[in-house]
Amino acid sequence: MRRFALLAAIVALAPLVLRYPELETQILTFGLLAVAFNLLLGEMGFLSFGQATFNGVGAYAAARVLIDAHAALPLALVVAIAAGAVTAAIIGALAITGRGVYGVMLTFAFNEMAYYAAFQWRAVTGGDNGLSGVPRPGIFGIALDDPTRYYYFTALVVLLAFAAVLRMNDSPFGAVLRAIRENEERARAIGFSVRHFKVTAFAISGALSGLAGGLYAGLYRFVPLQAIDLDTSTNVVIAALLGGTGSPYGALLGAAIFTVLSNSLSHVWSHWPLIFGLVFCAVVLFFRGGLWSLVDRRSRRAAHA
Amino acid sequence: MLRTRELTKRFGAHAAVDGVDLTIRPGTLHAIIGPNGAGKTTLFNLLSGELRPTAGSIAFGDRDVTQLDATSRSQLGMGRSFQRTNVFPKLTVFENVRLAAQSRTGDSFALWRSASALAAVNARAERVLDEFGLLGYRSQLASELAGGDQRLLELAITLATDPVLLLLDEPSQGLSPEDARRLIDRIGTFAQRYTIVLIEHNMPLVMRLAEEITVMNFGRILAHGTPNEIRANADVRAAYLGTRPLSS
Repeated sequence: MRRFALLAAIVALAPLVLRYPELETQILTFGLLAVAFNLLLGEMGFLSFGQATFNGVGAYAAARVLIDAHAALPLALVVAIAAGAVTAAIIGALAITGRGVYGVMLTFAFNEMAYYAAFQWRAVTGGDNGLSGVPRPGIFGIALDDPTRYYYFTALVVLLAFAAVLRMNDSPFGAVLRAIRENEERARAIGFSVRHFKVTAFAISGALSGLAGGLYAGLYRFVPLQAIDLDTSTNVVIAALLGGTGSPYGALLGAAIFTVLSNSLSHVWSHWPLIFGLVFCAVVLFFRGGLWSLVDRRSRRAAHA
Repeated sequence: MLRTRELTKRFGAHAAVDGVDLTIRPGTLHAIIGPNGAGKTTLFNLLSGELRPTAGSIAFGDRDVTQLDATSRSQLGMGRSFQRTNVFPKLTVFENVRLAAQSRTGDSFALWRSASALAAVNARAERVLDEFGLLGYRSQLASELAGGDQRLLELAITLATDPVLLLLDEPSQGLSPEDARRLIDRIGTFAQRYTIVLIEHNMPLVMRLAEEITVMNFGRILAHGTPNEIRANADVRAAYLGTRPLSS
């Protein structure tokens, strides 16, 4: 609770310190995506290499209803959530039939398919030009045109989603996910229908990823093809591992560092991913629990035991 | 309680379990013994639902469970333990047992409740841990326990699911003589409350605990009877080639 209050305070004060509301909004949407990814990896032990699929589907779905139906923003986000959840439930149900690395490869393959579908289906996605002209309507009579206002709207939604994730990790359902992560065979033997839990976890992760995509579509009033590409999926993996998979806070921290570094380093040196690669290797080699484990003892113990 | 009819499992041309008719009477501790490769573990996996039989049927009570998977059989009250220690290593001892107790409730898909607020589940987990003398380790990770304690935890997990029938697969396997004795004593304390099918190599343990013994060899039942009858059975002695004395 104290941690969450601290997080909320940092999020609330950030625009007063760093005056880049767009960058900060991007940290939050990417952070939410990393938290969604970490639900599968950190809690359930499934490495999803196609998290951008659900992000992209959510972004396109939200953008389409905003453009075509002039929908209200909350409705567009609900559509994004639903689209992400359904897509993830279907892909998850198929991916978990593959054992170990084959399951990972299936999420990867579906991401590739989704990318090419988006690339080809210009009428809906704009292809590689991206989908522009996404309106950003206000809510409850409050205009959100101003980047700082949109930041605060995003912050509110992301903090709510984050609180829901914390709550879920604490729930009987979250406990079963950790049991599956630790020992799937044993979980089955004590009577848990592992398949149903996995598909449900995928749906929840997809819902959060879709929400992140919907918020992202509103951020630049534009959905680039990048929203659904494999690079984004890879970046999510890197950000979450960098921050630490032992806690949703870790995923959020990793996403913040990744976003800031990729924005600042790319201005300094075009080969910035090289530096980032070294940092990433160092974290994976020497801080298996990620950066968050330097803060939190409990996740460090879990990572090394 | 549990009855198999012509139960058969083939792997290619090899019949690991070949036409086994087994009847486990309620309230008994029924041991299944036999030389290595006799088909005990395959039979066990057929009973627990890890494997599906090639032919034959399994009835639990008056219900045919032949086609049910391990999860459904657990939910019906068939609890199994594993030959190797099979716990949730990076969860606490308490959480290991709490999860097993939670699996008996309809609350496992509850997303908005706190797991620590399921009072009945927590109470059950504590009771089982106490019974196994593990309550003092409740906050430790399962992987931090000593080998013998991990095996006790393994049994505690199974008992926390509140089974009617217990399937115990070589519980003393790999334990030091002292830990094995501790485990045997523990099984002795709860044996009266359950129907138990026990696969075990440790003959002193079998002779001490079992009320009925089924001896398997080459996938078939070689003999069945009380410990004294089995001890005196010439076929059984021959199957073990006299290398392993059956008396303790």
